[in-house]
Amino acid sequence: MSVIEVDKLEKSFRIPHEKRTTLFETLTGVFKPESYEVFNALKDINFDVKEGEFFGIIGENGSGKSTLLKMIAGILYPSSGEVHIHKKVTPFLELGVGFHPDMTAVENIKTYGTIMGMSKHNIRSRTDDILEFAGLEKFRDAKLKNFSSGMQVRLAFSTAIQTDPEILLMDEVLAVGDMDFQQKCLDVLNNYRKEGVTIVFVSHDLGAVRRFCDRTLLLHKGEQIALGSTAEVIDRYVYGDQDKSISEPVNCVVENDHGVLTEEQPSVTCSRWGDQKIEIINVEFYDKFGNLSNRFNSFDAMTIRIIYHAHEKVFDPVFGIALYSEKGENVYGTNTELKEIVIDSIEGKGHIDLKIESISLLSGRFLLTVAIHSRTHEPYDWHDKLYQFDVIPTSRDAGMFNVPCKWII
Amino acid sequence: MKVLPIDRFLNKAVNSGLFCKLPNGWKMSFKHIANLYAYRQLIWQLSWSEFKLRYKNSVLGYIWSLLEPLLMLTVLYYVFSHIMKMQIENYQLFLLLGIIIWNFLSRATTIGMNCIVGKPSMIKKIYFPRDIFVISSCITALLMSVFESLVFVLFMIYFKVSLSVYILQAPIILICLFILSLGLSLALAALNVLYRDVQFIWAVLLQAGYFATPILYTLEVFPADLRSLVLLNPFARVIIAARETIIYASPMQTGDLIFMGVASIVSLIIGYAVFNKIEPRFAEEI
Repeated sequence: MSVIEVDKLEKSFRIPHEKRTTLFETLTGVFKPESYEVFNALKDINFDVKEGEFFGIIGENGSGKSTLLKMIAGILYPSSGEVHIHKKVTPFLELGVGFHPDMTAVENIKTYGTIMGMSKHNIRSRTDDILEFAGLEKFRDAKLKNFSSGMQVRLAFSTAIQTDPEILLMDEVLAVGDMDFQQKCLDVLNNYRKEGVTIVFVSHDLGAVRRFCDRTLLLHKGEQIALGSTAEVIDRYVYGDQDKSISEPVNCVVENDHGVLTEEQPSVTCSRWGDQKIEIINVEFYDKFGNLSNRFNSFDAMTIRIIYHAHEKVFDPVFGIALYSEKGENVYGTNTELKEIVIDSIEGKGHIDLKIESISLLSGRFLLTVAIHSRTHEPYDWHDKLYQFDVIPTSRDAGMFNVPCKWII
Repeated sequence: MKVLPIDRFLNKAVNSGLFCKLPNGWKMSFKHIANLYAYRQLIWQLSWSEFKLRYKNSVLGYIWSLLEPLLMLTVLYYVFSHIMKMQIENYQLFLLLGIIIWNFLSRATTIGMNCIVGKPSMIKKIYFPRDIFVISSCITALLMSVFESLVFVLFMIYFKVSLSVYILQAPIILICLFILSLGLSLALAALNVLYRDVQFIWAVLLQAGYFATPILYTLEVFPADLRSLVLLNPFARVIIAARETIIYASPMQTGDLIFMGVASIVSLIIGYAVFNKIEPRFAEEI
């Protein structure tokens, strides 16, 4: 049974150039046509969520995720199309809605609990639990304004999780807390899921989406790009974004033959050198589907393609790469010489691929050095940390790279 | 036999086709009333916490709120009975009742008007029927007025005013007063979202209305040809009728009752029409 049905949903906002907020301005402006721009926040969105399903919504900032969630919650009205909700919706868009600094902890629990749809009886019987869970038993009659922001968040969170939602809308705002808090949030989500609560989950944390969501919707600039099983949609998100995925060299100090600095970015120390007998035209990253990308799921396959142009016939060149963390630590390096590959000679344009079967990096941004040099280590063209790609986590392990291992007891 | 809760009962009644002959607007209204009833706890919680906040949760706050009308009364009483030589029976009570009723109108509309623009986080981050904000603002104002009425009751006892059966008509007057103010607050709250100067305009209108309504004086003070104009103001009739039934032990006039009843229904319908028209834009405009 579908509990949320979204049908041909559109939302556009009118953004006036000059906003009229008073009656006076409106009256005096009667003869001037109001000029505004229309921003289409959502275009033709169609999906439904089944009862008990854990439904994810992902997309970049500004792709319309929160707008969509607000329309499901009934806060915003669609410009056209319809949203049908068949059960009670509890939105967790922000914690502590309706908290008042001049009220005590207990009074705030009462108000917030009522807003979140808890019954009087439930609030009364659970107040002690809420305070205990938040670790604020001693402060039950203290005014909220005397609480630290951490205490306020704990109080709001402990209250919110006492609600018995039928459909839960969860926005990424919950992910602002520290690690411990985030973990608590995820545990709560997991419990709700076990209880059969329908959950719509908006997040940038692809790891969490992958772990929880049965199905996922991908939005891009207000359009519905993909809808389906979470793994496929996340792949689509990570790899599918063609216009962004061309791996441009990082703009930084590039010293050409005449020793003139063409562009400066002093905060990054990277550079290019070599006699350019062989020139590196470009370096491209390909994902497991063979598409250009600069974002990769951890453990996925990846190909690094070095496109070169040998201006003259060069014998015995060596191609190499070195991988650095964002902080500049050398993570890995290899070259054709170390792998005992002999390239007799090259001339003209061509490319060489480095195939990585499974990226052992866990998450983060990595910088890549690509170089072509002779066996005597005279550089032809050396691009030092000029390329970068991002690795999106798929496991919950900590650290920079994966060590294949297992626990035995 | 198990008794159905009213909201479910109303919903059932609506769905069972009991009202299927009624026009759609009526059905929607019944549904909305059932919906509001389901939110009764929230309405009460919002009203009560706002009421407590108004008095800062302190004993002094409560006393202060009683002192305010008393001081007001003292000043006005002195001015009007000693300087202006007003000859009215039980003038203190006459004055106090007028002030309490006008204060209610003034508070209900002022708190109500700001209840939407004053709570952007509630409007933008959570959903429940938006008129709940306005309704609970009016209830807050009512609670404050009921509290103020303690002074009035003490005065009644002190001056040994005898009550008559006609005091039973007073609740009808108060219901009309509440609905009138609620309708006004709904329209003002919504308009204030679009036009922020509505609150200043309304403050001026309230001030003018204070003198255009027989609060400090009787209707007879106005010239004869102006009286019918003054009586177009339903609040004038509310105050006159309340005085007659509560202080002067006489029945209210049928004309007043009909006028108040019609006016409050019209006010509520217009209020909801304006509110519902603007409501979809609340979250975007705030």
